Amino acid sequence: MSEHDEIRELLSLAAAGALDSGEEERVTRHIRSCALCSSALDDWRLIAGGLRRLPTPQPSRGVVERARAMAEVRFGEEAEHRWNRNVMIFLVAFAWVLTLLSWPVVRLVSEGLQGLLDPRFNQAWIGFATLTTLGWLGGGVAAVLLSVRQRRERRLA
Amino acid sequence: MRLFQGVARNTDMMGAAAITWEGRVGVESEVARLRRGDLDALSGLIARYQNRLYRYLLRMVRQPAEAEDLFQQTWLRLAERIRHYDSNRSFEAWLFTLARNLAIDHLRRIRPESLDEPVSGDAQGETAAARLASNAPPVIEGIFEQERSGRLAGALETLPVVYREVLTLRFEEEMKLEEIAQVLGAPLSTVKSRLRRSLDQLRDCLEMRYPGENWQ
Repeated sequence: MSEHDEIRELLSLAAAGALDSGEEERVTRHIRSCALCSSALDDWRLIAGGLRRLPTPQPSRGVVERARAMAEVRFGEEAEHRWNRNVMIFLVAFAWVLTLLSWPVVRLVSEGLQGLLDPRFNQAWIGFATLTTLGWLGGGVAAVLLSVRQRRERRLA
Repeated sequence: MRLFQGVARNTDMMGAAAITWEGRVGVESEVARLRRGDLDALSGLIARYQNRLYRYLLRMVRQPAEAEDLFQQTWLRLAERIRHYDSNRSFEAWLFTLARNLAIDHLRRIRPESLDEPVSGDAQGETAAARLASNAPPVIEGIFEQERSGRLAGALETLPVVYREVLTLRFEEEMKLEEIAQVLGAPLSTVKSRLRRSLDQLRDCLEMRYPGENWQ
């Protein structure tokens, strides 16, 4: 491909201001001595200028106001959702700590340190912890399913 | 005289750069306020981008009613995702990416063929874009300019969506190539080649529809 052909390929991008400095320099150098490319670049610049001057269609005021109102409502919903989630995380963590601590503490208070170290108690405690975990997991799955359903309903609305 | 022109051009460039910098700082501060929950900042961002966003969506989907719907959805999506916005990125590119994803999903759902094929139709018939362009305020001395704009907008509308969007992002939104690459999620080389092909197609379309027309 000759230099002339290569430059012709670059002319549209030159008019779009999309060449790097090296390419731009090549184009500038070439069009000084090539009337054909110079004229073609002028044509491209006219098209580029026309595109830049196309009238800007505007959305109606009602649409903008509705978008603003809807976005504000959604923004509030998102903030509330985040707050609810944080409160839930705190409550779940608090409930876990309370549940796991309460039994050993009660045992410690009622039967002393020996009661706490009794291996039979440890087995019962593991069973209790497993049951509690399953209970919490069941509750967690239900909460996630409800949340997914709520999100889907909100999206459809 | 040449020296004076050079100085004037440099002054213009500095002025434009200052305006751009001020604009960017303003946008960043509004985005930061919005992330803190200030709803006035949302109004500021809507006021700042409403026309540009609507224009971009209209160029993408061509139907004003669909563009208006997508315009509203874009602001809803922004309200949902603003916390995930990475402030190291350009907000403008991020906003237009949200709009683009919604528009592409919409086109995929409503008119999947429009994503890869040019629109056929009466070459001389008036298109929605031409109608939009012809809705510009009538100024006697601008009648020819208006007519040319209408023809250009009409030709633009016949291009495939991938070409329309790159042209509107570059020429109407005046985005840098790097920003366009962010919006499209494509490498810079792809953006450049797509821009070149879209300009080639636009010129071919104009030459076919208006043979011998002088665009000067």
